[in-house]
Amino acid sequence: MERFGYIRAASVSEAVALLNEPGLKSRALAGSTDIILQFRHDPHYCDRLVDISLIPELRRIEQRGGWVHIGAAATFSDVMSNPSVIASAMVLAQACRAVGAVQIRNMGTLGGNVANAAACADSLPALICLDTVANILTPAGGQALPVSQLVTGPNRTVLPPGGLLVSFSYPVPDSGSRSAFLKLGRRNAMAISRLTVAAMGRLDEHGRVAEARLVTGSATPHIERLIVVEQALTGQQPCAELYQHAANLAVDEMIRLSGFRWSSEYKVPALTAMTARVFAQVFEVGEA
Amino acid sequence: MPEFQFIGKPTDRVDALEKVLGTAKYIDDYSLPGMLVAHTLRSNLPHARILRVDVSAALKIPGVVAVITCEDFMDHGRFGYPIADMFMLAYQRVRYVGDGIASIAAENKAALQLGLDAIQVELEELPGVFNPLTALNASTTIVSEQPWDAPEYPRGNLLTHYVVRKNDPQNELARCPVTLEEDYSTMHQEHAYLETEGALAVPWPGSSGVTVYASCQSPFINRGNLVRTLGLGEDNIRVIQPQVGGAFGGKDDLMYQISGQVAKLALLTDRPVKMILSREESLIASYKRDSMQMHVQLGADANGKLRASQIHATVDSGAYASITPFTAWRSSIHAMGPYRYDACHVDTDVVYTNNGYSGAFRGFGNTEVCFAIEQAMDELALMVKRDPIDLRLQNCLRPGDTTPHGQLLGDDVSLAECLEQVRKLSDWKRKHAAYTRQAAEPLTPGEFRRGIGVAAVFHGMSLGAEGVDFAVGTLTVNSDYTLTLTSGLTDYGTGSRTAFTLIAAETLGLNPQRFNMPRPDTDLSHDSGPTVASRATVLGGNATHVTAQRLASLLNKSAADLLGCREDEIVRHGELYIGPKEEPATFELVVEHAHKIGLTLTSRGRWSSPEIHWSMETGQGKPYFAYHFGAQVAEVLVDTGTGKVDVTGFWAVHNTGTVIFPQGACGQLYGGIAQGLGYALMERVDYDNGYIQATNFDEYLIPTALDVPDIVGAFVEKPFAAGPFGAKNLGEPGVVPTAPAILNAITNATGRRIRSLPASLERVLLGKDLRKEGSSTACKLGLN
Repeated sequence: MERFGYIRAASVSEAVALLNEPGLKSRALAGSTDIILQFRHDPHYCDRLVDISLIPELRRIEQRGGWVHIGAAATFSDVMSNPSVIASAMVLAQACRAVGAVQIRNMGTLGGNVANAAACADSLPALICLDTVANILTPAGGQALPVSQLVTGPNRTVLPPGGLLVSFSYPVPDSGSRSAFLKLGRRNAMAISRLTVAAMGRLDEHGRVAEARLVTGSATPHIERLIVVEQALTGQQPCAELYQHAANLAVDEMIRLSGFRWSSEYKVPALTAMTARVFAQVFEVGEA
Repeated sequence: MPEFQFIGKPTDRVDALEKVLGTAKYIDDYSLPGMLVAHTLRSNLPHARILRVDVSAALKIPGVVAVITCEDFMDHGRFGYPIADMFMLAYQRVRYVGDGIASIAAENKAALQLGLDAIQVELEELPGVFNPLTALNASTTIVSEQPWDAPEYPRGNLLTHYVVRKNDPQNELARCPVTLEEDYSTMHQEHAYLETEGALAVPWPGSSGVTVYASCQSPFINRGNLVRTLGLGEDNIRVIQPQVGGAFGGKDDLMYQISGQVAKLALLTDRPVKMILSREESLIASYKRDSMQMHVQLGADANGKLRASQIHATVDSGAYASITPFTAWRSSIHAMGPYRYDACHVDTDVVYTNNGYSGAFRGFGNTEVCFAIEQAMDELALMVKRDPIDLRLQNCLRPGDTTPHGQLLGDDVSLAECLEQVRKLSDWKRKHAAYTRQAAEPLTPGEFRRGIGVAAVFHGMSLGAEGVDFAVGTLTVNSDYTLTLTSGLTDYGTGSRTAFTLIAAETLGLNPQRFNMPRPDTDLSHDSGPTVASRATVLGGNATHVTAQRLASLLNKSAADLLGCREDEIVRHGELYIGPKEEPATFELVVEHAHKIGLTLTSRGRWSSPEIHWSMETGQGKPYFAYHFGAQVAEVLVDTGTGKVDVTGFWAVHNTGTVIFPQGACGQLYGGIAQGLGYALMERVDYDNGYIQATNFDEYLIPTALDVPDIVGAFVEKPFAAGPFGAKNLGEPGVVPTAPAILNAITNATGRRIRSLPASLERVLLGKDLRKEGSSTACKLGLN
């Protein structure tokens, strides 16, 4: 590993200033769990790390005016144990719990997971399922961008150079909404996701689907809500056949978006099973 | 069973405290003034002729102190046992990706890297051999050249061939009402020791000799190789084994090369030299468990009574022989499983390829064949509609039986007891019936299904007909009334130092706290052969017992003289010696008296294994002096929607004889099962055109704590007459039957049989493997 500089920022504005200091290639350091690997692969990854992990407002999680705001440097452990998150978005709590192992969850941050934008990032499908907006600060000012637009592909984002991910905000889902996240890995911890599904839904007073959302991870190059699946569910009576139908549509979408790959022969049946299962969890109240 | 004071009682490991406190020193913890760091330049081609190695530019780099190649060693650094086909650094050719070519010592890592980049190596790529099944074809490239002094050296790529012969199985199979014929294959496995390879060499004044601290298993073999390749006498080389962070059989050949390289560099520079491998370098350069392709034929009566077995196996030894000739021999002996047959043939071909290389790994050849035969037994049970445990009980070896090798077994054989016990412990009857019923019903999409599976094991103790089998111990009473115990067999995390201490304490009637065992050291202990083959407890334990008996006899003479009585009149109470007058003498008094009457309170004892014999020609004999037996049951939950398998329960009953160190025994059992679980479900070493694909633990997956269920272990402690206090071995057998037990459970759950390892998501769901095409990139990156 090459030598690199390190500086700790005391505030968000100082962090942005440090990240944009001319003549230095600076990178934000929060949990360090991805950065340390970057340095192994590329010793010249950056000249200096700007530590943002101790800026209080970057770790804050709060519910305000119908939105839940999560600081970008909140750790997975912070997020998964936060009462507002648990009450409003089980999908996100479960996704954060699926990351790595305890040690990594204690270090790794939501902002890092999004900025690194791995195709298998566990938090991405959950955030996108919740229509989460990323709040970004640059020397030119703030901007808000849906996470689904911020992350454009595997390890690709439109985060402006020198821009700092400050927080994420998602609207508190309508009352009666339930959500769930399922992960498939080759082992039960420290596993890179082979497939993930994030789903949310709500039934109307007649017991029909009022709203449904589905996002898959490790399945498509661009992570997005599968609107075709969502529409097919809306207005329908939830039942096993409906979930199976939704699952078949989800698979069609996966193939449409990523083409038929070496792994598709496996991922088609696996995603079918996971999609049906996640909707069963969302719509069948009283079951796990 | 006799009541023991210390044996079989819960106790602390002798090295527990230093490990818990973090004061235990591993190689990387050593730092000496003036110490140089070293690194090896490794081949990034699987097979090539070395046309030129020019180190002159590297030597001009400031901070680079020395560079060596094979030319710096005697006979180009050739070593290896039983076949000397390796070199301290590659000679004339590189035979796998990761083969060492040159080694540099430098002041710091930056200079080291510049030096590595400056070495000029010209390689002429040769065709590689990657498929073991075609390695013997006439048109295939030859991997290994015959050394000038080894006329019987391999024919083509056939390293060796083994047979077991009893009657004519084909004749028998033709007359069997039930026959089975299937292929099974296993994959290479990485040892995944927590500590990577490393060594530190410290030269003696004027480079007159060298001390090597090496994270290895067998310091005496290491010293032997150094003697041969450095041209120094035995008295000029000392090998010390510091704390070792795991080995599992994996710290032999590559560690010998690293030891040779740092020793040579230290002698050349007259400075301490240390080399530590990165995880990537370790995964690429180190040897693995071999992979095997097995063709199994079984014949039985309609009621399941086995009559014949014919097994052909091909073993991929990779680029070098390493110890594979011995692992494959063990495979041959164990291939038919612990069962009775009227006829049995085993044929094993061991071949060279350019896929890394294979060597020793816990289980040592038995793991592979057990995977095949224990699945075949389950397949047979289905064919004859018998419960898998009943079928095994019907056919298993029992006391007084003769094995297919012609060996008459003694009364220590306890496989039936192991099977009966594991059946009870696991609630087998109820679960097996319920899961079998369920498996017959149609699947609902995405259903989770449970299954249960069993596998049995027999495992020959110690080296068997592989070589001379003995161990030596020493004991000394120190001036502060402590005792120093040594053994030539080492403790690389196995707990053998604790077992030896308990055996010595029990024999002498002294508290274990009085004993200390220094780290294994060729200057302070006696050659006892390699520390492999689960031989420490029985071989080293017996040697310790003999040594302690000799010292006890001296102490008894002193006590008798002190107490004015006959030796046989002395009674021991705790550490006290009590004579007829019931006046107790303390151990200290007895020691002082011994000095007064001129006795020297040291002893040395050697124990050799009982006689064995094996005929390579007739395939008959007595291959091991005795066997360990065991049976394991796995319960699984299979997600039929995704192919994900969770092992939800595990029961293991092993015939260990007397358990010496209970937590150590459980640790060996649990650790073995965890390693077997990884082998069964997730561990994969893929050599694509010779390039290993997973070069770190992000991709080479081993089980985590969340993947291993609670394990219920039990021991059949029928004392083994030839073992210390009745003990048998346990280091390896725990891992051997785990994978087939899990795969049998998967079949019980899903009705689908998986005959290749690992039982990945894809194999469980689709019945076949799916992989992205391999690349050489990751592997090359890992060598920097």
